[in-house]
Amino acid sequence: MADWQQYLQSVFFGVIFSFLLAKLFSVIFAFRDENLRITRSSPVVSEPDPRVCDETEPLIDENVKSGDESVAVTGDRSESDDDDWEGVESTELDETFSAATAFVAATAVDRAALKVSNDVQLQLYGLYKIATEGPCSAPQPSALKMTARAKWQAWHKLGAMPPEEAMEKYIAIVTELYPSWAAGSAKKKVTESSDAPNAGSKGPMGPVFSSFIYEEEPGCDLGLFSVVYVFCRYYLMSPGVHTLKISPSSSFHILMDNRGGKEDRKMDAIHSFAQEGDEENLLKCIESGVPLNLKDSEGRTPLHWAVDRGHVKVTALLLNKTADVNTKDNEGQTALHYAALCDRASIAELLMKHGADLEIKDNEGNTATDLCESNWPWMHHVNS
Amino acid sequence: MADNNAPTADLVSSGDNNNVSSDNENEVSIDALAKKVQESLSLAKRHKFWETQPVGQFKDLGNSSLPEGPIEQPIPLSEVKQEPYNLPTPYEWITCDIDSEEVCNEVYNLLTNNYVEDDENMFRFNYSKEFLCWALRPPGYFRSWHIGVRVKTSKKLVAFITGIPAKIRVRDTVVLMAEVNFLCVHKKLRSKRLAPVMIKEVTRRIHLENIWQAAYTAGVVLPTPITTCQYWHRSLNPKKLIDVGFSRLGARMTMSRTIKLYKLPDQTSTPGFRKMERHDLPAVTRLLRNYLKQFVVAPDFDENDVEHWMLPQENVVDSYLVESPDTHEITDFCSFYTLPSSILGSQNYTTLKAAYSYYSVSTKTPLLQLMNDALVVAKKKDFDVFNALDVMQNEIFLKELKFGPGDGKLHYYLYNYRLKHVLRASELGLVLL
Repeated sequence: MADWQQYLQSVFFGVIFSFLLAKLFSVIFAFRDENLRITRSSPVVSEPDPRVCDETEPLIDENVKSGDESVAVTGDRSESDDDDWEGVESTELDETFSAATAFVAATAVDRAALKVSNDVQLQLYGLYKIATEGPCSAPQPSALKMTARAKWQAWHKLGAMPPEEAMEKYIAIVTELYPSWAAGSAKKKVTESSDAPNAGSKGPMGPVFSSFIYEEEPGCDLGLFSVVYVFCRYYLMSPGVHTLKISPSSSFHILMDNRGGKEDRKMDAIHSFAQEGDEENLLKCIESGVPLNLKDSEGRTPLHWAVDRGHVKVTALLLNKTADVNTKDNEGQTALHYAALCDRASIAELLMKHGADLEIKDNEGNTATDLCESNWPWMHHVNS
Repeated sequence: MADNNAPTADLVSSGDNNNVSSDNENEVSIDALAKKVQESLSLAKRHKFWETQPVGQFKDLGNSSLPEGPIEQPIPLSEVKQEPYNLPTPYEWITCDIDSEEVCNEVYNLLTNNYVEDDENMFRFNYSKEFLCWALRPPGYFRSWHIGVRVKTSKKLVAFITGIPAKIRVRDTVVLMAEVNFLCVHKKLRSKRLAPVMIKEVTRRIHLENIWQAAYTAGVVLPTPITTCQYWHRSLNPKKLIDVGFSRLGARMTMSRTIKLYKLPDQTSTPGFRKMERHDLPAVTRLLRNYLKQFVVAPDFDENDVEHWMLPQENVVDSYLVESPDTHEITDFCSFYTLPSSILGSQNYTTLKAAYSYYSVSTKTPLLQLMNDALVVAKKKDFDVFNALDVMQNEIFLKELKFGPGDGKLHYYLYNYRLKHVLRASELGLVLL
């Protein structure tokens, strides 16, 4: 009787012990496998069918084999399911985020890559869930399921964080972990943008908003200058290089002097400053003795340029410095012709006050009034 | 491990250790990995949706053994999914009755604030309400194809997509298709990936009307364009275009010379050039049908279509024709539609008024002269810019009439219809709005 009891007892303990042992193994394997799972499924992150994750979640705490299946299920699901949310449309943030998740996945597989602590993995897991599924609404797993519980906590504690914020934080962590990842993706960005400059802001379907590539000057050979101009424009517009400013004094001089075009067009710094409305440098130029009525290769004075670009203050400055108001360019046009053509009323008025001659005709026989489309009463007044 | 509050120190130290042991190796492998991942993402993943759809696939490009025509055969209507696709719980499908003032306003507001912008986010299309009514209600249109998504609780419209029926001829076959357009998802919901399900839903509703092909355009390359066109722009109001950043002044180009360059005559030059009127319908229909025959893909317009699409409507579509002063025969035709854009970052201007070249036919008057007259009337109507694609015979006049190339490429697509070869833009006779 006692023997029998003892026997039963040992069998009983044996069963419990082996159950616990099996449980322990399954927990260990499940956690390992779970890492793999995040790993493998995250390239599919951008089509986050909520069901994909729900589907795989219960499998995590089972044995190794079913974990493997869950990978397969994930893959199949996302491709065959009609209701999935895979993207033809994605924002830049989405793209960076999915790139980041894919990168994390790749590093996790790659033994050579730097490994990340569990805490960070959990943190990433939580952010990932928020980004793809939103706030945690699943019930808390039982205390025995340690990994599941830890993950649930990592997710749950983020509360109702907006998905965009979660994506940003996720990307921030990855960037902090692997600075070279950011560099790699930035490099990629640059090449991508040069390949397909329009990929970003366009919708997945529908019309396209187009504007000029750059203003052409038909009949004139812009030569090197247009190349440099496009280059400068590109530089000034590309993000991260905002601090790069091309100072007119240096660049224009250099550009003008080195340029070997067929039709030699020359423009001095004083013209550039007038053109850009750079009062300060213009004043310096004048004070250093540059002739006020210096003509560029097209016969334009600084006054022509200031009027053309509509800089009232610079125009006033030049006039006060007694620039010749009636100088003609190579086409016979005065600054007043420019003001009339460009419909710059206040500047025209200013020119008139400084003695601009309304009667001057350009090479085509037009007076400023002939070129003016608006009705400027004071102009007609003087005219009549 | 459950302690979630002390990760950083741990992380840094473990990271450092690893770095010390295999510094260079890491750098290399991470770089390589990053590159590999990015590459595979950009290629394979981007078109996951379209790879599951009956559209020409990139891998089949140049494979001339595949027949032209439908990729998948129609299925019995009873087998078409009868219920709408699932939306995330907070949202619901609605059919937009564009006739209703209120709905039209809602759609207009959604598009005005969320529709297509340029790359630098300086402009956004601002289709007018009249335009939307015109674009969405051609002869035989289906109300069920004007699909909205709204928030269940607030009833706010957050997404929109439409189809309209169109007879489109591909070589010798006229196919009843849907033209899918106006896909717009509210900016705040862009991460929810509504677009694919919206495309599927409009497809389902199109199938329910026993239509199995569609035509659409996109600014991005999807599998697989039947042709790729480029936008060209003709400045009508160069000063404004430069002020708002639509075009740029070369550093040594003067504004005055630019303005002079784009000056247009006050009057049209072709004798008998006048606005199209209702009684011109038969003649214009004949003219268009004949002219469009030469293109591989073009609409198959009947008189009802021409009435809807070509008869002038204030601020929507303008059509002009040349009536020979001697024979009173209608010999030439040109049209453009009005599509303003909001200017997002200018203190001086709020709207860019653009005319888009629509269908033009030249038989007696040279196309160049005809289009110059179109520019003259557009200028008179106070448009800032005249846009045209390099489709049909447009290349003849673009450069000559001082159009400049745009930065926008427009790709044309057919759904469930395969073409053996990619077309030249000049082989395309179709303009989508």
